[in-house]
Amino acid sequence: MEVKYERIAGNSRHYYLALAAFAAVGLAGVLCTFWVLGQGLWVTGMYNRVPWGLQIVMAIYYIGLSAGSLVISGLYGVFGKLEYKPFARTAVYLGMLFMIAGLLSILTDQGRMDRVFVQPFVHFNLLSLFSINPMLYISYILICIVYLYALFRDKKKLTRVVATLAFAWAFGVHSGTGAIFGFGPRTLYDSPLLPASFVVAAMASGTGLMIALLVALFRLTRRHLDDELVFGLGRLLALFVLVVLYFLAVENLYLVYQVEWRAAALYYLFGGFHSVIFWVGLIGLGCAVPLFLLFYPRTSKSIPWVVTAGCLVVLGVLCERYVIVIPGLTRPPEIFPGMEVSGPGLIEGVASYAPTLVEFCQALGVLGIIGFLFLAGLKVFKLLPAEARIAKQAGPAS
Amino acid sequence: MDRREFLTAGGGLLLAGAAGTYAVRLLTQAGAVEAVTAGRHRWGMVVDLRKCRPDCTACLEACRLENNTASVGDARWDVHWIRKVHVKPKNGGAERSVVLLCNHCDHPPCAQVCPVQATYKRADGIVIVDHHRCIGCRYCMIACPYNARYFNFKESEEWPNKEFPKRSHGVAESCTLCAHLLDVGKKPACVQACERAQAGALVVGDLNDPQSEISRLVSENSVKRLREDLGTEPKVYYIGL
Repeated sequence: MEVKYERIAGNSRHYYLALAAFAAVGLAGVLCTFWVLGQGLWVTGMYNRVPWGLQIVMAIYYIGLSAGSLVISGLYGVFGKLEYKPFARTAVYLGMLFMIAGLLSILTDQGRMDRVFVQPFVHFNLLSLFSINPMLYISYILICIVYLYALFRDKKKLTRVVATLAFAWAFGVHSGTGAIFGFGPRTLYDSPLLPASFVVAAMASGTGLMIALLVALFRLTRRHLDDELVFGLGRLLALFVLVVLYFLAVENLYLVYQVEWRAAALYYLFGGFHSVIFWVGLIGLGCAVPLFLLFYPRTSKSIPWVVTAGCLVVLGVLCERYVIVIPGLTRPPEIFPGMEVSGPGLIEGVASYAPTLVEFCQALGVLGIIGFLFLAGLKVFKLLPAEARIAKQAGPAS
Repeated sequence: MDRREFLTAGGGLLLAGAAGTYAVRLLTQAGAVEAVTAGRHRWGMVVDLRKCRPDCTACLEACRLENNTASVGDARWDVHWIRKVHVKPKNGGAERSVVLLCNHCDHPPCAQVCPVQATYKRADGIVIVDHHRCIGCRYCMIACPYNARYFNFKESEEWPNKEFPKRSHGVAESCTLCAHLLDVGKKPACVQACERAQAGALVVGDLNDPQSEISRLVSENSVKRLREDLGTEPKVYYIGL
């Protein structure tokens, strides 16, 4: 099936305005980061009891989104579904950008950003997931570059090989990211399910984003997009959300059921503001509502409703990343099991965390940078297809 | 399979095998978790809670003044290498005061997760941070099950001990067992302060030396370490916990 790819014209006022807006937000984030570097991380909402905050949440979120968009291109590159070939280039380019966003988020969170460019490469520690994972992230970006090369030059055999490699690598990348928490000694982190549940949530969020983004892009650039392609992605999204729910159910039921972890589970589910984010943001808006929209006949065959479902899943997985990171830190480690521990200052007991304006600025700044790169890429590279139709020919696939 | 494919596959396998062998060698060398301690000191501490007075803060002050830990007047960012907490059983029992600090574990989770091996265990068992290498990722703080690690969020203006460096913001740290004092035959600041306060609840010594006071205390008393179930093998022994 031959697909004609094009650049967007990119000469409308709206396009330049959007480009400028993303650039401005990105620049604000960069300036903010320089300021944090000079002041010290005390200007964020983090402190000695909650040493990780919004930037780490966003880092793992962006990393998750990157593999998700790879699902779409994997449908074509690995499973040979030609009807998704039109989206392959956009999906891989976006996947690469989100991985860069994840790395940028981690980079701007470090206490000594200047050392990050040398030390982790010269003195790595293969026993540390924080050492292994950046190697996986960077090699993932390199694989995406090769993948894009194969797609642009339409080298079918190379595409097949790289697509399969990228697919497998994405599993490694996401399992590794989940393992940062899952392989840690904090009660609410420690779980062998976390790597797997991370992969599925990544795929759900990525698929949701692609649905919304593709419909928006095709509509804005007046390109034809077969509704059935979107509905197909919608069905895939529903499947991913079901698996996400399954993992959430198993993890939390286990914690509640076991006497040993019950106190921790009750804190997680009902013990703080994060519980609102869990029930309303993740379970309600992120899973239940999208599933209803994607299964109820009247909405599952309606493009606006499927896009809504996609957006809700994107929001829901952000909530999921938040409740992975923060409650595990706000709940104190069990130094004396079965005892109440109190002390002067803020080190003992349940902590709380609220991001400051600076952190929001940095998080948006990262989004601004990759938004700019994506918009610019649509004009510079031939990413979008002229149209996306399901081919009706009965002959052998080309 | 033709000859070209066979040779390609064979070459690939050889490459994979070489890479794998190299990886295994790297894996077993990297991390610096285990240390050979035979013939060297193996530093540990005994905290005798029977002798520790709940209202006394001598060790806390001495540590801060010796090690220049950040003191910015805000509980969020003040660093306490050694601290005192109140512990009370959830279902009835008396409240008691416990001194907490880095346990200098034999299997330190902090060293295991440090991406640049800035946190490492010395051959004499002290877990310490190379402040010139630390990138400030704070993973070690997440990994420590004892909440014993701190980050320099904000630099303090004070520099009480000019003979010991002050850390810039952006690096992680924890109690060094006053390695700079032990290395020249002196006692850690907290131990000295506790002796001056007429309590003598803190004892630091060489666990490898059967004649040392700490070895005697550990073998003659019912000692307990924190979260022994975790397998971290802490080297701070509590009497009367």
